[in-house]
Amino acid sequence: MSRIDPVTGAVIQGALESIALEMGHKLMRMSYSSIIRESEDFGAALTDATGLQMCECRMSTPLQSGPIPGYIRNVLKVLAERDDPVRPGDVIMHNDPYGGASHGPDVAFCVPVFQGETLIGWSATTAHHLDIGALSPGSCGIVDAVDTYAEGLQFKAIKVFDQGERNEAVWHILRANIRATDLVVGDMEAQIEAGRIGAARLFELVDRYGLDSTMAAFHDLMDYSERLMRDAIRALPDGEYAASTMLDGYLDDPNPARRELPLVVTLKVEGDDLTVDLTGTAAQVPDRPINMPLVGTVDCSIWLTIRSILLDTVTYGAIPQNSGLTRPIKIEAPKGTLVNPIFPAPVIARFCPGNQLADTVMKAFAQIVPGQVSAGIGNLRVVALSGLRDGDHWVHMEIMEGSYGGRKGLDGMDAVDTLYANTRNNPIEDIESHIPIRVDRYELRENAMAAGQWRGGIGAIREFTFLDEAGFSLEGEGHAFKPWGFDGGADGYEAELTLVHTDGTTTNLPSKVPYFKVKAGEKLVSVGPSGGGYGDPLLRPAEAVADDIADGLLSEETSKVIFE
Amino acid sequence: MKAIGIDVGGTFTDLIYVDRQTGAQGIHKVSTTPDDPSQGVIIGLTELMVQGAIAPSDIAQVFHGTTTATNAVLEARGARAGTITNEGFRDVLHIGRHQRPDHYSIMQEIPWQNRPLIKRRYRKTVPGRLVPPTGEELQPLDETAIRQAARELKADGVEAVAICFLFSYLNPVHENRAKAIVAAEMPDAFVTTSSDISPQFREFERFTTAALATFVGPKVGSYVKNLEAALADQKISGDLRIMASNGGVVTPRMVTLNPALTMMSGLAAGVLGGAWVGQRCGRDKVITFDIGGTSADIGIAIDGVCAETDARSTSIAGFPLLMPMLDIHTIGAGGGSIAYVDQGGAFKVGPQSAGADPGPAAYGRGGTKPTVTDANLVLGRLEPGDFLGGEMGLDLDAAQVVINDLAAELGMDPLEAAEGVLTILNANMANAIRSRTVQRGIDPRSFSLVAMGGAGPLQGAEVAAMLEVPEVIVPPHPGITSALGLLIAGLKYDVIHTQFQVSTSADLALFNSEFAEMEAKLTARLAEDGLHADDVRFERAGDLRYLGQGYELRVPFDLGEVTEIALEEVWQRFHDSHAAEYGHAFKDSTIEVVNLRMTAVGASPDLDLPVPDGGKTLDMAHVRTRQAVFRVDGTLQSFETQVYRRDLLPLGMPVLGPAILLQKDSTTVVPPKATATPHETGSVIISLETKS
Repeated sequence: MSRIDPVTGAVIQGALESIALEMGHKLMRMSYSSIIRESEDFGAALTDATGLQMCECRMSTPLQSGPIPGYIRNVLKVLAERDDPVRPGDVIMHNDPYGGASHGPDVAFCVPVFQGETLIGWSATTAHHLDIGALSPGSCGIVDAVDTYAEGLQFKAIKVFDQGERNEAVWHILRANIRATDLVVGDMEAQIEAGRIGAARLFELVDRYGLDSTMAAFHDLMDYSERLMRDAIRALPDGEYAASTMLDGYLDDPNPARRELPLVVTLKVEGDDLTVDLTGTAAQVPDRPINMPLVGTVDCSIWLTIRSILLDTVTYGAIPQNSGLTRPIKIEAPKGTLVNPIFPAPVIARFCPGNQLADTVMKAFAQIVPGQVSAGIGNLRVVALSGLRDGDHWVHMEIMEGSYGGRKGLDGMDAVDTLYANTRNNPIEDIESHIPIRVDRYELRENAMAAGQWRGGIGAIREFTFLDEAGFSLEGEGHAFKPWGFDGGADGYEAELTLVHTDGTTTNLPSKVPYFKVKAGEKLVSVGPSGGGYGDPLLRPAEAVADDIADGLLSEETSKVIFE
Repeated sequence: MKAIGIDVGGTFTDLIYVDRQTGAQGIHKVSTTPDDPSQGVIIGLTELMVQGAIAPSDIAQVFHGTTTATNAVLEARGARAGTITNEGFRDVLHIGRHQRPDHYSIMQEIPWQNRPLIKRRYRKTVPGRLVPPTGEELQPLDETAIRQAARELKADGVEAVAICFLFSYLNPVHENRAKAIVAAEMPDAFVTTSSDISPQFREFERFTTAALATFVGPKVGSYVKNLEAALADQKISGDLRIMASNGGVVTPRMVTLNPALTMMSGLAAGVLGGAWVGQRCGRDKVITFDIGGTSADIGIAIDGVCAETDARSTSIAGFPLLMPMLDIHTIGAGGGSIAYVDQGGAFKVGPQSAGADPGPAAYGRGGTKPTVTDANLVLGRLEPGDFLGGEMGLDLDAAQVVINDLAAELGMDPLEAAEGVLTILNANMANAIRSRTVQRGIDPRSFSLVAMGGAGPLQGAEVAAMLEVPEVIVPPHPGITSALGLLIAGLKYDVIHTQFQVSTSADLALFNSEFAEMEAKLTARLAEDGLHADDVRFERAGDLRYLGQGYELRVPFDLGEVTEIALEEVWQRFHDSHAAEYGHAFKDSTIEVVNLRMTAVGASPDLDLPVPDGGKTLDMAHVRTRQAVFRVDGTLQSFETQVYRRDLLPLGMPVLGPAILLQKDSTTVVPPKATATPHETGSVIISLETKS
């Protein structure tokens, strides 16, 4: 039942989306570090006073906007426990991975919106910061952190502005504890400004339409998103559908409890309710940071994947992303497992495990809606590169793309970010102009496409030569297990990473590498994973095979092995 | 001396001529001939010359807006194109920024992977590498490999080649050498380089822009050639000038060399026309608002000048385009936009459009979906028997049926539903205008809205009211503003150099030598085109950002020697511009210059259209009284509404709303409480009651 007439509802919805877009646009353009402005690893959203998400910026990366409601709810909880009320003029910083944050480097700045003395909503931005004061430079590849304290600074609802007054002590602590300080603090200030703009716009909107109408429109909007999701779930046959995939974990670790770890998903469809049960997933790794916060990573991974499959934008257009979309979905994650770790188990390197979880969810859905999934995806890897120049740190993060599996009617997408991530790479001309790295290669792999009626997507090869002594670390997945083929399609290809030393000898690296020093002239060769094939390869049209051969992606010899 | 403007659109080719001495003018419209648009142009031109008794020898200038390049890209019908790039980088065009266009979609397609401009088999790689910061040579170019690649491409029937090397924006030497070799091997092919097309950093975007130019190059080249030949056949020897996306005109030769220049030219002419109409009415700050059947184009012009968009905001068919381009925002909302209830039960309008065929249900051509036009008709804001000057009847019953269906689905009263269609459409448009004004520190309340296109004058007043814009200007001929804009477009040639410098250690000598070099380059280019530097003025600008940022803002540089004082002024402008654009300036941060730009701008031709006579009394213009529905103070009410023939309205005499003004190319709606006054220049100015 609608709370407001459909015309006003549509008008307010358009206004909300336009606010979130403005916040994201301004944040991206004002920010300093390439992880935000080029990779778009940021989020921007508005919530109501209690933290229910009203809208998000469609430019931001899904894994950043998705957790914002969790940040807000925890900020409210912590402040209530401290008996410290939210007041006009406050700006609150938060990054607690056991309190709604996706992981520590994703710092939120939350601006409360007041009408008179009444809190009516929140305008919040999150962004992945280059450094957060962890044990080694950068905020990724901290794969040897033994607990959350080793992951860097933890902010639990810190008022960086208190009733409009800048809390200078906090800023001094930040400056003294974070590497690449100017970039990181500049990015934080950009976040605050973007958040303030969103707050001002939300206030104007409420001023124009009234609080009751705005909230009525928002609740209608949540119902709308919920209704779409429920309709889609109701169309699925009731039942239980299970799937599992494997995480690499720490492949070179002598302790078997740290490697080759199962992720298990059971979908339970009952009418228009869906339960995602993660029972069977490996126990948490208590002293390595590949555990995934349940709120902020696991929930977002599941929600975003389900939405991409059941409410695909190609079919449904742009559906408002708000808290209504997640109401029909229940998640069960046993405590003490990788997907619901116990504090202070470290979590900073949860990015790639979370994406593997998304792939596992898709694998379970493949049994129900085979026309709406891809075969297994190639997962991602993130490198942190760092060094000192004139006494100052430079830090650069690069997300190595994966690829999609084949889809019914379509080949897999080549060399892209997958599932819950959708960042951008850095232009080679930008990298070489700003840090002592030479990029020697960025191309598709050849002869590494998973066969299928619709072939898997192809991974990319990248080569970096260090021009100076530098630090390097890596967090990734996909070195040990092939992306799954589907319905007769072949499995895909694993990723690889090789360090080529100056004398020409090589070292093969696993998918987790803690910080170590590399010498000038050493070279990193990254081979990206290729997604799984979809359908029987013998059903692939001859012209499609001929095209792949003409394009140099497949050799004639290989094609003969597959197709004859 | 007569000038002719010819604007080729998707459906119609609009023509306008003026005699710059006598002020005589005429307009004409013919159907576009999609297979070879130059045919439609010549048909229209011949008819226009007969209609105005114009001798070919009297025509001094032909200004032309063409969609040849745009359509080739949108329809994915271009040349068999190839590229030669650095060894190790064969797939820059395919990998892009490794980002998917949609976040939440498994089944999406990626334009550069599913519809590549250049297939991988035609992407050749050769040894040779330049490096920053100066573009010095790390590895020499392998000329034998270039020659070999060119021969292979030729053997494969490739008609057009883009030479794309990393860091060519710093040093074009490798690209230029490769181009010479390829041109010698493939004398009939279109050959260009990424530094010729757009010498700016970010390789995927630059290479893609070069690939776009290459993809359309042969088609645009032969179009321009056909047109020149056809004009010669008609014994028209006047200068042909072609509209570019930057809001200026260039010679046919320039367009042939860099066809990417024209990718968005149609939109640019519309904004110029709108800005000119505003200025004639004495309004220096206007929002141009052009609504056709499927889309609305929004531009902001101050003192007749529309700003250019930044380099990272332009794309065509999903491909990034690094080209100087006026800042025009297009949204999918127009007269044909379809209203519907989506799967979740929400009331939506557009972006799908019924187009011209079948068109709205009211067209009676079998359209079964409710559109904006149907809503306007049901509300009594369009005249069933008097649409487009009576050339076309509208079927009120058919419109009523589809609106009733929509209302039933929504559980609303039919009139409420019809008005809801307009409110949702108008709100979408107002949001789009806010994104270009309020969100950039511009207050729309000090602007006038110029309502253009067939549907602009229908919606203009209500959209303006949503934004508290105080008045709406409806041009004499709202439907041909783009053709009009062509007549007042001056020459505009750009040159751009990527030049990284920071404010804390700026090299004045380098600034001065770069600008001198750019001026020499422009002067030479003008000379090659048979133009004189005396006929243009130079403008300078820089693309600046805070050191570390990734997006630049355009800031003007003064002419003359760049001194420390002049630079201080530039830094200040950047802080101001950053504060206006984003709401904040980081005054203590170092500023980085990324690009220097120089533009040669020719004077806009004078245009003095004749002043209309207008009618004697309001009565003479009065056609009839009808009922029309408007929302006033929150309630929907039916009003006795006067319908007038616009051309017979007495100048200067206010018409009180509600009123409807009829003319051949549009219908103007004057809502209750608004007043429309025919201005001496032929425009109608609608004053709105605004909150004060």
